[in-house]
Amino acid sequence: MSDESISVIRIRDVLLVTMPADPDDTTVAALQERTLEAMDLHDVRGLVLDLSKVEILDSYFARTVAETAQMVGLMGGETIIAGMSPAVAITATELGVTLGKTRTALTIDRALDLISKPGDGTRPRRER
Amino acid sequence: MNVEDKGEVKIKQETDIAMARRAIRDIAKKLGFGITETARIVTAASELSRNVFKYAGAGVMQWRTLTSGENKGVELRFEDQGPGIADVNEAVREGYSTGGGLGMGLPGAKRLMDEMEIDSTVGKGTRVTVRKWCRR
Repeated sequence: MSDESISVIRIRDVLLVTMPADPDDTTVAALQERTLEAMDLHDVRGLVLDLSKVEILDSYFARTVAETAQMVGLMGGETIIAGMSPAVAITATELGVTLGKTRTALTIDRALDLISKPGDGTRPRRER
Repeated sequence: MNVEDKGEVKIKQETDIAMARRAIRDIAKKLGFGITETARIVTAASELSRNVFKYAGAGVMQWRTLTSGENKGVELRFEDQGPGIADVNEAVREGYSTGGGLGMGLPGAKRLMDEMEIDSTVGKGTRVTVRKWCRR
């Protein structure tokens, strides 16, 4: 039904997962499967979930994103959500959705910076 | 309040939820709603059409554009012949859910829209009507 699909590409040791503007439920469900498969296949630190194209984040989509981040965490990776538009951030908050403890970044660039920094759970912290 | 234009989207399968969203997005844009207002209307449509699919299995979303003086608006009506809601007041309260969801469908849609009315009879079905007015 949906002519827009998820794109998953690997950049060095990070997966960049880009969601289309208005994914239907099947496409949203595929996010979990495709992301976890790619995590299993590649030796990566985690993933940047690019939501910059996304026009709406309803409760089903938000729950899937939060669950996917949790599953990626269990596999030992980190998820950073990047690029959420103002309209989506406002609407999702008013609707009452939360993304759990998932970290966020304004842009993909900033997300890539975050994911490679210590203290993100993928490297041991230095003692003071 | 004059009715200018109307239409409907049947909700029979999961992909119809996305169809309903697309139909409403086009209408909201045509009426001159801004990006955030459009996102609110489309998100409410998504939650309410998902409720229809999840609780009743099937139903319909009817939409119509509204004019009141110089104001333009849109009305969405979701109708199903599902199990109905026993306590409507309880259903629009925060955190209420019987469908294993997060319980934000009805209260969330209410916050996103300007007006909401629920007419439900247990064993017969539910009709949820929401409206949003275009502010200039």
